[in-house]
Amino acid sequence: MTFYLARRLLFALFLVFAVSSSAMILARLAPGDYVTEALGPGARAEAVAEARARYGLDRPVLAQYADWLSHAIRFDFGRSMANDRPVGELIPERAANTALLAGAALLFATVVGLPLGVVSGSRPSGALSAAIRTFSVVFLSLPPLLTSLFLVFLAARTGWLPIGGMRSADAASGPALDLLRHLIVPAAALGLPLAAMFERLQSQALAETIGQPFVLATIARGVPRSRVIWRDALRAALRPVASVYGLVVGTLLSGSFAVEIMTSWPGLGRLMLDALVARDVYLVAGCAAAGSVFLAAGTLISDALLAAVDPRAIEA
Amino acid sequence: MISTRSEPATFNGLRKRDTSTELLGFLSGAKLVRINRATQELEPSLAESWARSPDGLTYTIKLRSGITFSDGHPFTADDVVFTFAALYDPKAGCELADAVRLDGKNLRVSAPDPLTVVVTFPVPFAPGVRILDNVPILPKHKLQAALQAGTFDSAWNLKTPVADIVGLGPFVPTEYVPGQRLIFSRNPRYFRKAPDGGPLPYLDRVTMEVVPDQDAQMLQLDAGQIDAVDSNMRPEDYAPLKRSADAGRVKLLDLGVSYDADSLWFNLKPGAYAHDSRAAWLQRDELRHAISLAVDRKAFADTVFLGAGAAAYGPETTANKRWFSADVPQTPYDPTRAKALLASIGLVDRDGDGTLDDPQHHPVRFTLLTQKGKTQLERGASVIREDLKRVGVVVDVVPLDFKSLVERFLSGANYDAIYFSVARTDTDPAINPDFWFSSGSAHFWNIGQKTPATPWEKEIDDLMSKQIASTDEARRKALFDEVLKVFAAHEPVVYFAAPRVFVATSSRVLNATPALLRPQLLWSADTLALAPKR
Amino acid sequence: MRLVGWALVAAACIGGLLAPVVAPHAVDDRRPGLLNAPPTRPHLVDSDGSLHAPFIYSWTLVDQLEQRYVENRGTRIPLVWMSEGRLVRSSNESSAPLLLLGADSYGRDVFSRLLFGARTSLALSIVAALGTVLLGAAVGGIAGYLGGAFDDLLMRASDFVLVLPAMYVALGLRSVLPIVLSAQVVFALLASIFAIVGAPFVARGVRAIVRSELQLDYAVAAQSLGASHLRMLGRHLLPAAAGFVGVQVTMLVPGFIVAEATLSYVGLGFPEPVASWGTMLHDASNVRAFADFPWLLSPAAAIFLVVLGVNLLLQSNPEAARRRSIQSMG
Repeated sequence: MTFYLARRLLFALFLVFAVSSSAMILARLAPGDYVTEALGPGARAEAVAEARARYGLDRPVLAQYADWLSHAIRFDFGRSMANDRPVGELIPERAANTALLAGAALLFATVVGLPLGVVSGSRPSGALSAAIRTFSVVFLSLPPLLTSLFLVFLAARTGWLPIGGMRSADAASGPALDLLRHLIVPAAALGLPLAAMFERLQSQALAETIGQPFVLATIARGVPRSRVIWRDALRAALRPVASVYGLVVGTLLSGSFAVEIMTSWPGLGRLMLDALVARDVYLVAGCAAAGSVFLAAGTLISDALLAAVDPRAIEA
Repeated sequence: MISTRSEPATFNGLRKRDTSTELLGFLSGAKLVRINRATQELEPSLAESWARSPDGLTYTIKLRSGITFSDGHPFTADDVVFTFAALYDPKAGCELADAVRLDGKNLRVSAPDPLTVVVTFPVPFAPGVRILDNVPILPKHKLQAALQAGTFDSAWNLKTPVADIVGLGPFVPTEYVPGQRLIFSRNPRYFRKAPDGGPLPYLDRVTMEVVPDQDAQMLQLDAGQIDAVDSNMRPEDYAPLKRSADAGRVKLLDLGVSYDADSLWFNLKPGAYAHDSRAAWLQRDELRHAISLAVDRKAFADTVFLGAGAAAYGPETTANKRWFSADVPQTPYDPTRAKALLASIGLVDRDGDGTLDDPQHHPVRFTLLTQKGKTQLERGASVIREDLKRVGVVVDVVPLDFKSLVERFLSGANYDAIYFSVARTDTDPAINPDFWFSSGSAHFWNIGQKTPATPWEKEIDDLMSKQIASTDEARRKALFDEVLKVFAAHEPVVYFAAPRVFVATSSRVLNATPALLRPQLLWSADTLALAPKR
Repeated sequence: MRLVGWALVAAACIGGLLAPVVAPHAVDDRRPGLLNAPPTRPHLVDSDGSLHAPFIYSWTLVDQLEQRYVENRGTRIPLVWMSEGRLVRSSNESSAPLLLLGADSYGRDVFSRLLFGARTSLALSIVAALGTVLLGAAVGGIAGYLGGAFDDLLMRASDFVLVLPAMYVALGLRSVLPIVLSAQVVFALLASIFAIVGAPFVARGVRAIVRSELQLDYAVAAQSLGASHLRMLGRHLLPAAAGFVGVQVTMLVPGFIVAEATLSYVGLGFPEPVASWGTMLHDASNVRAFADFPWLLSPAAAIFLVVLGVNLLLQSNPEAARRRSIQSMG
């Protein structure tokens, strides 16, 4: 078991390294760099060249990459050019916020999506199932930008919830409650499409499992149908959902930026987009690395879940 | 409570030039002089008065006495000298530095006594101390150690505890929540006083809330959650805000036409199209004049700005009262003449397919680059494309992201034409030499020339040199009118329409003196007030 | 239920194919005086209650900045059928065009753009989905079947593809491509990018299913009977993942439609005047669309109907699953 974990850890590290390197090199290859336009529209060529040299952006890509790598190994991820601060300082601040948002969205999606999927999968031709399916398709087909915009708009019109942000400047209610109120809109915007995805996957998987002979047999033995569904069929049917769980976690980071921008949530997705637009290469690499950490954690969770649900799927 | 689209990059106003850091400079910093953005006049700020030497190169500035920083430490001329030393220090890498240089040379600043500063310009410069409105004065006692140790480039970054940030402005930062907000409280030691002698600022607290999306900002403004926004209002924001204004929730102020129209220019670098058959017509004046004739500016303003705009014919619009010239010819909408003009350089429809062709039967077609995500530009480019199609010129519009676009025109390669918006920082053309001079780095159509490529660019160079050096205001205006005439004769940049500028604030905001230049409301943050909440 | 699915998808495809005839206007036919104009609803009964052939009322601009219009109830503008190569138009197209779903912010007919957009968006997402399924099923199937180090390698590779933001790659790609890209080139590029980016999702799920199916009796039996690898995968293991893949496709299709708009931010979008649902929705993503111009959001409804259709088509039911498992045992 420990050997297995060690191997996973090694792979995860390798992934982090590969992803952040690629991100950095790609950002560097993109046209324009941090200095372009940073000094103002009329900066002299000499001043621009000087600034470029100071940031090391005039070196060839590989030289800069080698330099970055030698520092990264010692956990020094360079400085963000736009923010005058070490990358290693900036990212954890925001990553925690995104983790919170992602966790809330995932929780919402699991608690809502899975049971609904079981219901619609066990009775595929009922009116309830049709209604559930319609809801899922609605949220699957709406782009996240539109969903968040709509929810923010709703919050503005009804005044029930704050319009964006993570905490209020002067919170009348306690800090925890305030955070919760702010969390509702972004978590819903991020979680509803996820819930829809889980519901559809679960529904599909359950519908298939129910057709299996072992289910028939159990029912024939006299076990009540609902117990069969919720206990036996479900275990088998959780397989596909468990397998994508990790992927979902991993992509929540890159998928969250639309929601974060719309709801002013101070998270990593937004930081990543800003870094890309500004060509802040070290920050870009750092964000990509954070993303792969998310993914590694997610796939670990997912594989653990898979093992719990279907012992046949783990490596011997 | 004001919302901005991004948080400041740092507390150090010299290091970075993004809009939020500049805003911070207005709230917590003070400068030697202040340009009153509503009247465009120069006002004393930290300086009490100044005198110019006969040769126009040296200014002796007398500072106000009795000013202290927000932590009580007295303000002296040494702080000014220190600020400029830090600004120009090569290791410090301040992005603001190049904006405070003339001809690439630094200003020399010295302090003969604690209340006097002597600024020497390297070349004659008519606007004089106006340029000093850019530089917030930093405390020597707080930052000197960093400058000497060579760590100025990370001094006062956002991780610094707010208690350490000390300034001369009306407010001091008192709380920073990363990614969310920055809270400023009044500076009890602020040096300016109200007209009636009472203390300033009127406001007790200013909160800078970070809201990246402009739609979300407008929703918050409408709901009364914020009092002002730090973004330019777009034409599509007008209708919902007008409704709110009618309902009394919001105040809508019409500031008239903007200073700038968006710019269309071609790559006029000699040899840029060396192997391209289009070299024969792509850089000709006639092409640009034809484009100017072919676009219906009224319809342009209607589509791009929903009618809230005015036609623009040159780099200066009617908004710039002092420098706009009505004598400059204004191109009418005349597609027939446009076609004739194009025919005169050999571009006629030779095969009857609706598009013009050159003498070798190649179709007249060019690529227009613009900025993706900026609606105003994308729409404008679209309208240009439509209007030019009607006279037979085919335009391929390619939206690119900001940096990719800027990279192309700064390098002077790989583009035919660009449609872009350049916001100016001041109304006086002398503060914008990089645009007018052929050697300038903002002379977009042909950046950084060693010698002027065309006789008319040389003419503009000469006129502008005289204009900048002259101290006679009437003569400066006459010279600049000449510049505008030469510009219009060759139209290196074509302008179509400038938007009308609106500013919206919550109904509680009082004493607002909105201006066309940034920051539209907070340049006078010290005199802003809020009606009490009901 | 399946029939409904077929009907929806067919309607969308036919609408797209027949767009040049069914759509009253061209994609870039602009009316400068009708920016964001509301839909012109066809009426049969006029204001004094008498019956007529279908007609519409025209819109008059009241306030340009606020984009408010008022209906001209005085004049009836009858519709004409089968004229100028179009199914239906207004009899006075120059000043009172037929705008079944209103106009967008450039004054273009939303309904026509919706139909033409169907061509672009549906074609792109179908091709991309096909690519994703093929690539993902292949990778996942092989990984699950072979297991061991090979499995690891393939899964890590797919993790890498998953976590590297496509935006970065697209940005880098854009800079090495020529500045003007034709619609066909963009189509091919986008389809390939989507296929690669979507494959990991499919691959993971397929791999898990294949791995556990491998342990089932029928699989062990088939193997001991000497079934070739290809036969194992093709006949027994992959079909077990069919249901999962079907659901994935349901989720990928709308994602692809929308992602086209996101990638256009780095310049990899369709050039003007090609219409696509993704870009139409993106342009409509502002507060005014919800508050004042809801017809701009019709691409969302269109996407919903198409996705619903696809989902109904691809879902399996317990009957089919039972039949399949019984079949594979025999």
